Amino acid sequence: MGQACLAHLDVLYRVARRLTRHPGEAEDLVQETFARALRAAGGFEEGSQLKPWLLRILRNLHLDRWRRERRHRIEPDAALEEAPEPDAWLRGDLELEAMRGLVASEVEAALGKLSEEARTAILLDVEGLTETEMAEVMECAVGTVKSRLSRARAALRSALAEYAR
Amino acid sequence: MDCEEVKLLLLDTRRKGLEPPLGESVSAHLAACPSCQRAEAVERTLDDLLQATLLREAAPSSLRQELERSLAAEGEAEAVPSRPLRTLRRWASSRSGLAATGLAACLAVSLFVLFERGGPGGVTLATLTGEAVNDHLRVLVSEHPLEIESGINHQVKPWFEGRLDFAPVVPVPEVPDLHLSGGAIGYFLDRKAAVVEYHLGRHAVTLLAFRGDGLPDLPENEPALSSARGFAVARWRAGGVGYALVSDIASQDLRKLADLFAAESAH
Repeated sequence: MGQACLAHLDVLYRVARRLTRHPGEAEDLVQETFARALRAAGGFEEGSQLKPWLLRILRNLHLDRWRRERRHRIEPDAALEEAPEPDAWLRGDLELEAMRGLVASEVEAALGKLSEEARTAILLDVEGLTETEMAEVMECAVGTVKSRLSRARAALRSALAEYAR
Repeated sequence: MDCEEVKLLLLDTRRKGLEPPLGESVSAHLAACPSCQRAEAVERTLDDLLQATLLREAAPSSLRQELERSLAAEGEAEAVPSRPLRTLRRWASSRSGLAATGLAACLAVSLFVLFERGGPGGVTLATLTGEAVNDHLRVLVSEHPLEIESGINHQVKPWFEGRLDFAPVVPVPEVPDLHLSGGAIGYFLDRKAAVVEYHLGRHAVTLLAFRGDGLPDLPENEPALSSARGFAVARWRAGGVGYALVSDIASQDLRKLADLFAAESAH
């Protein structure tokens, strides 16, 4: 089990890195995820997918930590969760070109402005999880994943537009 | 079908494709609508940006080593994949002394396990499945897993000539989103193996080809399925060569894929 988990280490670290926004905290979170997964190995069903299972543990641990520390944390602006007007992201080829010129640090910064839920949806999608796998990680219905991802991408486009100007 | 309906389906179209009637409607609309073409271009650009930004980072090697040490300490080490020696030497030469010590410990445990297993005579279906999964994991966790990188089987197959004492088939069946990535020499139990790597969408798929003599549970040209640790393994034998196909895709999908691979390996 432990070695099978190691095969997903890079994915776990990348997701942890963007959820915590801190390399050291990400490493702690991944280590705790491994420890929790090994303790809970008996609950893992043979034939089911390991990656979503691990990511669900990681996310729940992150949420637990965040809830414990939330008095000291500032969550992102809730307004960014509002999807922009339907055509706000279609302002022409100029915007498309500007978006193509964005650098990694700007994408990271825009992603950091999203809520945990929106960030998680974006991260899991980029990591190649299917909607079913994302639903397992986020513990919601597949239909909910679809709408969350759609809203999250709209919010991210909106945040990126600030840097693309 | 209007623009709003099409825009809602753009993500599904890119991620998994749409069934023919709906897919054709979306394609037809896109071909004639500049606004939706632009929306599609923005979405694709966003995908490219995110992939270039978010997928470039790997876990720190210090974290990996720490976890490997912890697992070894907790008695999980018997599952440590035994890397090919050449890879080990590369690792050992490029890592700190501490890392080399950890790897040496892993290797020692692996050799101990091999010794304890008593060679291929004691091989069971569980051993065979576990080894196939470990080989797949070795490819996934290696920093430079492929010795030949090519998407063309006429380049990958000849590369194995002279490196193995059998001739593996390198099938590339026509399956949407299936791409050959390359190959390498590895080990399967006590014997050399051709390790061929593919990608099915974003899932890694590993084909192992090895001499099949003395190994049980390798049905002739008829893939049989088993699973371990969340990975599905299809195994079969063709022309005296054993094959194992491993991935984390759903078992039923791997079976379909294995049937196509087995059909090609039988020729």
